[in-house]
Amino acid sequence: MPREASPQTNGASIDIRALEKRFGNVRAVDDVSLTIDAGEFVALLGPSGSGKSTVLMSIAGFERPSAGHIIIDGEDCTRLPPHKRNIGMVFQHYTLFPHLSVADNVAFPLKMRGVPKAERRRQAEAALETVRLAGYGDRMPKQLSGGQQQRVALARAIVYRPRVLLMDEPLSALDKNLREEMQLEIKRLHSELGLTVVFVTHDQGEALTMADRIAILKAGKLQQVSPARELYERPSNLFSAGFIGEMNMLPVDWDGNRARLVEGEEIVLPDEARLAPVKPGRAVLAVRPERMSYTQAGTAGTWAATVRDVVYAGAGTLLITTLADGTEVRLRIPSAGLQPVSPGDRVGLSCPPDALLLYPQGDA
Amino acid sequence: MSAPGFFEADGRTMSRGTVLMLMGPFFALVIFVFLYPLGNLLSISVLEPQPTLEHYQRVVENPVYGRVLFRTLQIALLVGVLSLALSLPVAVLMANSRGPKAVFLTACILLPFWSSVLVRTAAWAILLQRNGIINQSLQFVGITDEPMTLLYTQGAVVIAMTHVLMPFMVLPIYGALRNIPADYGRAAAICGAGPLRSFWEVTLPLAMPGILGGFILVFLTALGYFITPALLGSPQEIMIATLISQQMRENLDWPFAAALVGVLTLIVTVITLAFSKVFRFDRMMGGRA
Repeated sequence: MPREASPQTNGASIDIRALEKRFGNVRAVDDVSLTIDAGEFVALLGPSGSGKSTVLMSIAGFERPSAGHIIIDGEDCTRLPPHKRNIGMVFQHYTLFPHLSVADNVAFPLKMRGVPKAERRRQAEAALETVRLAGYGDRMPKQLSGGQQQRVALARAIVYRPRVLLMDEPLSALDKNLREEMQLEIKRLHSELGLTVVFVTHDQGEALTMADRIAILKAGKLQQVSPARELYERPSNLFSAGFIGEMNMLPVDWDGNRARLVEGEEIVLPDEARLAPVKPGRAVLAVRPERMSYTQAGTAGTWAATVRDVVYAGAGTLLITTLADGTEVRLRIPSAGLQPVSPGDRVGLSCPPDALLLYPQGDA
Repeated sequence: MSAPGFFEADGRTMSRGTVLMLMGPFFALVIFVFLYPLGNLLSISVLEPQPTLEHYQRVVENPVYGRVLFRTLQIALLVGVLSLALSLPVAVLMANSRGPKAVFLTACILLPFWSSVLVRTAAWAILLQRNGIINQSLQFVGITDEPMTLLYTQGAVVIAMTHVLMPFMVLPIYGALRNIPADYGRAAAICGAGPLRSFWEVTLPLAMPGILGGFILVFLTALGYFITPALLGSPQEIMIATLISQQMRENLDWPFAAALVGVLTLIVTVITLAFSKVFRFDRMMGGRA
């Protein structure tokens, strides 16, 4: 697709309002509201059964919501059949039509729109060029590798310049190297074409790498919608905290000012540690392993712990320690400059105050 | 992309012994009840009473036999086209059904197998006879004043044969449709294809192996069909199978009957080869996976 024809944003805004989908008694999607800006790249992230695919299928029109609305660029599309939505979509298993050549596959959406044959051919070739498969038009899909097939699927999805591109775990069938390459490729296409992208994945690394914002779903409910950094550094609830990356979760008693570790030290928390009000009583203190450090046992302001395991893993080393009550605390420390430490050593753990997060218990 | 060897299935190689064990009974059956009698018959056609081609000459020279052959091909083709037209919607419905509805539809297709072809053919004789239910209904409604001749016509043969052979069309098409992943339909829809367009552009081409398979099956079976044309057909417009039977049992002219079988076998072989040449299924599916 020629670049000059793509101004900054070609995308459409998507407004998901109070979306609900019931299958019998099960609410696969439960009151999900999400506004996606024109040109934004949003990842829907969640474990299987979280409803992320159902949300995507509702945007595409393959699922009819039980309640709520899908509004694309101000137009209510809730009841519009998929073939009238002008959306591009890439599926998990490529789904190239096996009886058509690569060029005919890519030209298929143009054919459906009544574009004359010569023009179809030209635009399909241009789209193949965009995904770096120029000259592959005459092959059959089966003659291509998985990564190439997914590129063709991508070309087919963007050839008619849709304003919205949906992707349903498009990289999960590819091996790791190819996946990373395709992630960058999709990012490039997104900024080049300026369309709105909604991307479903269960791979948090993928979501963090690619998306402007990440929407986390669990059991049909939206948990948090945030940019990657905010999601990682300040997850809004225990589920998000545990789902994205590694997190130490320590049971504490909270009195409104201080948190006391079970059989352990009192910790003064800054106000920022609470993302939402936490009632005094039992609570959970969360901290990322890479924010933790250790010094000599008994140093003032540190938590007493015993080293249980030291796992060297190249750039970083994982330290598994236990507090007095047996709670496990993990530390990820750069291997360079690591103080000699071995299992059984007694150490003092500490972390900067801004790394501490406090959540109500049972919030997940 | 080398073609998988004869002894490979799903990429796993089976030992020669296993293959022989699995295919042995089938091959034995084919050899003893098909190839041996057929060879025997064909040899009669050229060897009796002495080595000669006179029986084949008779088939070619007498226009009556050419007409019977042509009529047989016509009827078989009509039955093939008619049952394709009737089977496609049924197969589509079955492929798109789930649960009890799917079971019910499958039962409807398989139910006729519980009764013999003879019974099903006789049923048509009852329906189509002079004072049968069809003629009575037509007169009752007032479309006709007096009973029409429905039985012992080519029409009766075509209708009944279509009915009897339809399951052989429905099942392969259903199987082919069922094997098309649902995502293809979704991909077509999101590309802008409405339901009919999607069916025409994607579903139908992908189901083509099943459609052609079913068509060949029905067409070739109809070509050599005996019971239905013999019971419901007009004696003046017989089909090849009836002619062969007449020559064998009434005229006791085995060499000539064998020559007719030879001609029929030749036609079937040519048609089968032509079909597999024109419709290269493997190429259509983009070469072997």
